[in-house]
Formats: sequence, structure tokens, C-alpha cells
Amino acid sequence: MRYALTRIARFVLVFVIVTFLVMLVTRIGSKDPIRDLAGGTVGDAQMDKVRDDFPYVKACSGTFEYIPCVAKQYVFWAKDMVTGNMGVSYLKSQTVFEMFQERAPSTFFLGFWAIIIGLIIAVPIGVYSAYKRDGWLDRILSLGSYVSISMPQLVLAVLLLYGVASRFEFFPNRTNYIAPWENPVEHFKNFFLPSLTLGLGLGAVWSRLLRADMILTLQSDFINLARAKGVKPGRVLWVHALRSSVLSLITSVALQMSGLVSGAVVAEQFFGVPGLGFRLVEAVQTNDILAIQAITAVIVAVVVIVNVGVDLLYSVIDPRIRQMRAMG
Amino acid sequence: MSAQLQTAGRQGGGTLIEVENLQTHFTTPRGVVRAVDGVTFSLERGKALGVVGESGSGKTVLSRTIMGLVPRRGTHLGGAVRFEGQDILGRAPKDMRGVWGKEMAMIFQDPMTSLNPLMKIGRQIEEPLRNHLGMGRDDARATAKRLLTDVRIPEAERRLDQYPHELSGGMRQRVMIAIAMACGPTMLFADEPTTALDVTVQAQILDLINEQRRDRNMSVILVTHDLGVVAGHTDEIAVMYGGKLVEKAPTRRLFAAMKMPYTEALLQSIPKLDEPSHTRLATIPGRPPDLVNPPAGCRFAPRCPYAREKCLNEEPPLEQTSDDASHSFACWYPVGSPEYLDKRAEIDAQKVSVA
Amino acid sequence: MARAPKRPNRFFTIGSILALAWLGSIAVLSILAPVLDSIRDPNKLGPSYSKNYKVGPGWDFWFGSDKLGRDVFSRCIFGAQISLRVALGSIVVGLLVGGFLGLLAGYLRGKVDSAINVLLDVLLSFPALILAILVVGRLDVLAENWTWLTRTWSVTIVLSLLSIAPIARIVRAQTLSLSEREFVLAARSLGASKWRIVGKEILPNLVPAMVSVAFTGVAVLMVAEGGLAFLGYSVKSPTSSWGKLIAENREKFNDGAWWGTTFPALMLFLTVFAFNVIGDRFARRFDIREAAL
Repeated sequence: MRYALTRIARFVLVFVIVTFLVMLVTRIGSKDPIRDLAGGTVGDAQMDKVRDDFPYVKACSGTFEYIPCVAKQYVFWAKDMVTGNMGVSYLKSQTVFEMFQERAPSTFFLGFWAIIIGLIIAVPIGVYSAYKRDGWLDRILSLGSYVSISMPQLVLAVLLLYGVASRFEFFPNRTNYIAPWENPVEHFKNFFLPSLTLGLGLGAVWSRLLRADMILTLQSDFINLARAKGVKPGRVLWVHALRSSVLSLITSVALQMSGLVSGAVVAEQFFGVPGLGFRLVEAVQTNDILAIQAITAVIVAVVVIVNVGVDLLYSVIDPRIRQMRAMG
Repeated sequence: MSAQLQTAGRQGGGTLIEVENLQTHFTTPRGVVRAVDGVTFSLERGKALGVVGESGSGKTVLSRTIMGLVPRRGTHLGGAVRFEGQDILGRAPKDMRGVWGKEMAMIFQDPMTSLNPLMKIGRQIEEPLRNHLGMGRDDARATAKRLLTDVRIPEAERRLDQYPHELSGGMRQRVMIAIAMACGPTMLFADEPTTALDVTVQAQILDLINEQRRDRNMSVILVTHDLGVVAGHTDEIAVMYGGKLVEKAPTRRLFAAMKMPYTEALLQSIPKLDEPSHTRLATIPGRPPDLVNPPAGCRFAPRCPYAREKCLNEEPPLEQTSDDASHSFACWYPVGSPEYLDKRAEIDAQKVSVA
Repeated sequence: MARAPKRPNRFFTIGSILALAWLGSIAVLSILAPVLDSIRDPNKLGPSYSKNYKVGPGWDFWFGSDKLGRDVFSRCIFGAQISLRVALGSIVVGLLVGGFLGLLAGYLRGKVDSAINVLLDVLLSFPALILAILVVGRLDVLAENWTWLTRTWSVTIVLSLLSIAPIARIVRAQTLSLSEREFVLAARSLGASKWRIVGKEILPNLVPAMVSVAFTGVAVLMVAEGGLAFLGYSVKSPTSSWGKLIAENREKFNDGAWWGTTFPALMLFLTVFAFNVIGDRFARRFDIREAAL
């Protein structure tokens, strides 16, 4: 328990620092953030009201006063966030919260399916290539995963979209959001290609990792004993050996999270997925401050939570770690 | 007790294992390693054979070859191994799987790394029961519990749900024995079972193995580098050196009337209680032979204090002693022969002059 | 028990030699490009094509021409310069700063280590691309006053920043394990000062890992630059990098003008692959455990 608390404390610290830095960055060189935020959609008269609503959107200047200035604004913003007021995006005439409701599901599903696809690819390939090490299939698969890793997602996306999608009328050119419970088939059609783009990259990395780890595990004594007990090879692989290697796999899942988010941003642009990544790019272009801060806050939170979650998952999977941590 | 249940109806005596000129050669980048190079012996039911030798003598490879656990890629197997009359050398793993854990079982040296750290003890014991004997979950669990009690682990019920790292080294080894005994095998290979344990625990484990052997009329091959281990717990001892069997005799007789100088050297290197303190530990000088290019002649000759010209050039065959057919050895000038005594006198004279 | 024979871990295999050859030729070509006559000015506009007049790859334009009639091949070569410069420059900074931080953290441990760890955590929890577009976006605003701050520089700055954390992590891990080893203890017991130990014992042993990381890192950065370019946050026209080319010519892909996107993509892929191969071979040669970058 104590261990969990220290981890969470660290997460909070990191989160605060990151979101603070984001705020810092958005203020750089901006002479009047309020104008950035609302100018163009709101008349000058209302500007003052906006200023009042959002006291933490101010310009900062001076080399030494800069950080404290931003720090003050940060505190206000944090308070607002905690109470649920995430701000407004004047550009889109909606509150940030509404924006989340609209956009978050797409990004969520994109990431979710990408991870699932990645695992579906990685686990069988990883386990199998470790088992039949240096066999001809292993070499082909290794080469394949190597190539996938080197392939920029961009390239892959290009191939998929134009090579596949335009050939077959099946996949739409632009992805629309359709919830899976509304219409599973349409959902699949829309999300398959972008998720595949991301999932292939993930799968390639994970399969290599799993293979390396499994090879090491298969050389352990307890695997020898399992064999000497007459356990069938299938069971040795999937029940005995995989259990050990799962640890490094989930570590990699955690580590890849932020890469996944980056990839999602590109994929959303490319396939036109109406998600948070897409919106974020827009927001940066227009310096839609509150949207930027909110989205990045959520993204960072998700990444860090996954990392902490995986860390805590270790305790569940490996009883030795559980004991070690309990002892403090 | 589970032992009695499983051995009901098992025959009393007879040969269980016959090994004939067994060879195991591994192909490595350095060359062909002749790990086991022509070993012959047989073992009766219910008897314990100790296989003794240094690291690199081939004793571990021997036990694994007999059981069939050596990897098949890059390995050449020669000779024959017969188990209960059937040839098993070179059989594919899928044929042997029914035997492993059921008729033949092995316990390994390091119980910490040999048990799956992520699996509960109970499950690891139940695994062969459900796999080979087709037991259901409840039966298996009950049997596992009985097995733990048989190997003298207290609070068996609680232990079933524990993980290996929660047990002490001695207990883990007992668990390994329980796993090995689960299906009532006729043959047990114990590969350095006590090396990783404290001295006080060693004796307990060896006694436990012996007890199981007697209760189940099971044969045991005990592989170790430690003569002390085999002294009280085996019926016969086979001494291996450089991949070859160099002496074999009933235990008592080996200690009392050894023939091979290597055996003598092994015995001498054990520190004894009645020697004056600060006595130098006797060691065997030199290194084990290169198994890729073994020396011509007797493999021990380069290190043997009694070696003569013939020893270096011609390999001595394994012969029986004149007075006891169960005692065989391979040496041109064994302990007690005139040449030996001559050399001995020389060495002793030197020792006196130095002291 | 014996294992099957291992294959030797040489550095110069067919793969790595080919990779080195490829990289060498790209480097040479891109450096000599301005001088060579046979390579056209990448910015020279030609007759822009319409649906009727599409210039695909052929004798005249080796890789075809893009929508403004510019020679794709020469744009690729000039683009190589930018892509490589940016990636290499960033990796160097990353190695210097990241290596330094990692070394400090791994050797000094204690509070220094904790502080640096938090810093690294911060850098790492930020999805790279998002940080990149944020920073490049803001640097644009600053660039209005500081004209030297071209996009090329912005991108280099950002990529450098991004490469610090993973490198620091790896160096830290290596330093931690190295400082436990006997030869360091031996040096300490002989009275060697901290800096001496770092310089003479630890640093030389870090070099293989760092070189390998450098190569794989360059590969990753080139891909990242591609991603940035695609989102419009990389170099501005008329400068080009491979990523930018891919993005530029994407629209015309649909019309069947596959060469504009495919060739830069191919070059990007081959170069990234080459770097990966070399980095991987290097790591295997020096038996470095794989770390997640």
C-alpha cells in the first residue's frame, strides 16, 4: 500500500510539472493571450468579460517575473480544472468539456483497437518465434518486424489508405465516429485502417520484445523441470513460459503509450478521425489556449496513469515483487 | 500413504535399466565434445546407484541422456539404453513425454530456479497428476497434500497455496521430490540434489530420498561430485572421469578397496576429522581433460601420480576384479598392484623429506 | 546441458555493409549536390502538370516531377541534407546532454538521481509529437522577432529536447550497472577521484551503448521529423525534407501520381532501415541488452 501511495505521489508531481510547462509554453511570445483565445469571435466589449471569466489567461513578460507570473495563473487554472470548469473554446463555440465529450471517444477507440491489434499480432508471433528459434519462419517474421519498425507510420498510412482503401470501396476515405454499440459494422469499417496503422507498429515492437524475453525464459531451469515432468510443449509455452515474459510485455505497453498518442495524432490527421489529436493540432495552430491545456492535461494524465497502473500490475502478476514491496 | 498405493503389485527385483556403451557427443563451434564416451552399466529395481565425478566428467549429461532430455539438434547419440526391456535411446520427445514424470522422474540441483516462481506449489505438484493420471481437481489436490506430508512438510494444506520463494531451500527441495514422486515413478534421477542446500539439510533430503526409494521399490541414480553424499545412501557407486566410467563397485567395497587412483584421490581430498588441524587439503593437481580432444590412453593419466608410460598411450579397459564380479575398474596399475606400491613408496619418501 | 551452436556476432554482415553503403552514398550525394551539374536546382519550377501532362519517372526527371514541375529526384537529394542534418544534429545534442544527465544520475545517485529522474519522467510522459508541435508552434511566434530561428532550427531544437530523456535513461541504467562492477570498486580502493573514475573507467565502457543508441536514435528522429512534416510543423517551403515531400505530394497521389510520395517515402524508409541495422549490429557486437527507446 505504501508503495502505491509513493507512486501516486510521484505521478501527481510529474503531472503538475508537465501541465505547468505546457501553460508556460503557450504563453511564450504571446502578447495578449485573451486576444488569441477570443479575438475574432467575440467583440471588443465582451473581451473584458472574458478577461474576468478567465483570470489565468494573461500575458507575461520580463525574464525574472515570467515564471512566478505563469505560476499564479497556473493555480487559478488548477482550481478551475478540479471544480470541473475546463474553460471555453471560443473558436469552436463550445466549452472544453463539450469538446471532450464529442472528441474523446474517437481517440479512445483508436488507441484501444490499436493496442488490441498490436497484442493479437505480437503474442502469437513472439511466442512462436521464440519456440522455433532460428527456424525459417522465425527468420522471416524477424525480418518482417524489423521492417515494420523502420517503416515510418506515415509511409504505412499512405500505403494503407491509398493502396487498400481506394481499391476497395469497403473502407471510407475519411473516418467518421460511429459508436460500436450503434453499428458494429460501420464502426469497424471506420476504425480499422487507422487502428491497423498504429497497431502494426506496436505489434512489431512488442513481438520482438516478447521473443527476446521468451528465449531467455525458455532457457530457465523451471522450464527444464516442466519438460522433465512430461508437460506438453503447448502448455510449457503458454502456461509456464509466457507467464514470466508477460512482465516485460506489459512494461512495453506502458512505455509505448506516449508513442501511441503521438502516432494517434498523425493517424487522426491522415485518416481524418474526429478525435482529440486532430483537435489539438488545430488548437496549437490557433493558440486556442484553454483547449490546448485541457487536452494535454488529459493526455498526460492517461499516459501516466497507465504507467502507474502497469507498475502496480507487477505486484499482481509476480508474487515475489508483491512481497518485496509489502516489506517496504 | 500414497507410496503404497502406487507401488501395489510392483515386482520385487530384476533389472530396470541397462546402459550399453552409451555415447553422447555434442557438436559445438569448437568441435565435437565427447561428453559421455562409452559408458556401460545396469541397475536393478529398488537399488540406488551413485554417479560421482568432477564437473565436466559427464555425469550430468549421462543422467540426462538416459532420461532422454538432451537436445536433439547437434547431438550424436550412440550405444543403447533399455528401460524395462525397451529401447529408449534417441526416442522423440513426444514419445517420451508419457514416461517423463510418470515412470522416470528427475530432481534438479537448484530448487529455487527449478520451480516456477509464478505458480503456486500446489499447482506444480498437481500438474503431473492431472496430466499423466488424469485426476480431477479435487483428487489431485488431495493427493498433492498427501505427497507434501509424505515428504515431511508441515502444514501441507497451507503450503499448497504458497509460492516457491516463500519456502526455505530445504523445503523447496522436498517439494521437488514430491513433484517427482507424484505419479509413483520406477526410476528417479537426482542431479546434485543437495549441492544448493545447507549441510544440515542435506542429510535430511538424502534420507527422504532413500525412504521413498524403499517404500516404492524405486531405483535411484544419484549424481553428485560429493563422495560424502553417496557414502551412506547408495548401494553401488560408479565413478566417472572424462566421459568414461572408470570404476564401479558396491559402496562399501569402493571405500574399503578402491582400485582406481582417481577414486583414491577423491577420497583423499575429503578433509577428515581426525587429521591434525592445519593439515593441508589434498587436491588433485591439473585440470579435467578436454572433451573435444581427449588424451590418448587413460584420461586420468596426465594428473595421476602413479602414471607410467603405458597409461599415457593405451586406454585401460573396464575389467572386473578377480575376487568380486560386481567391482570393475579401468586402470593398468591399480591401487595395490606392485607398480603402484613402488610409486607410493617414492611419493611417501618425498613427503617425509619435505616435512 | 549443451546448447545449439551460436552464430558469431560480427559487426560486418551483409546487412550492415549494405546499410553503410547506402548511407555513405546518400551522404556523399547530398553534400556534393549543389556542385553537381546533373542534379537540377530543386526549386526550379517547371511547367506544372495538369491531368494531361504528368511527368512520371523517366530519363529526364529520374523520379518524376511534382505538381509544380520541380524535379522530385533533386528535391529528394536536397531533402536528404535537411533530414540528415536535423536528425544527426539533434542526436548529438541528445547524447551530450542526455549522456551527461544519465551519467550524473547513475554515478552520484541519491538526491541527484531522484531529481534527474523526475525531470526525465516529465520529459517522457509527454507524447513526443504533441510536445513538438507545441514548441514549434510557439517558436514560430518568437521567430517573428528572431529571424535566425528558421524552422530547421526549431525542429532541431525540439528533436534534441525529445532525445535527451530516452538517452539519459539508457546511460543512467548502464552507469548504474557499471559502477557496481569490480573494476570501479578497484579503482576507488586505489584512491582514484570521482572524476577520474568516470572519465577512465565508466565513460569508455559507455561508448558502445551510446553509439548504438545514436544510430537507432537517428532512425527514430528521422521518422519523427517525417511525422512533424506531415502535420505541417517541419521545414517551410521551399526547403524540403523527406517527410515534407511526402506530405506535399500526398494530394496528387490519388490522381495516380504515385512517384511524388513513393520515392521520398522509399528513401526515408531505406535510410531509417539502414540506421536501424547498423545500430542493431553494433549493439549485438558489443552485447548490449536491448533497452526501450
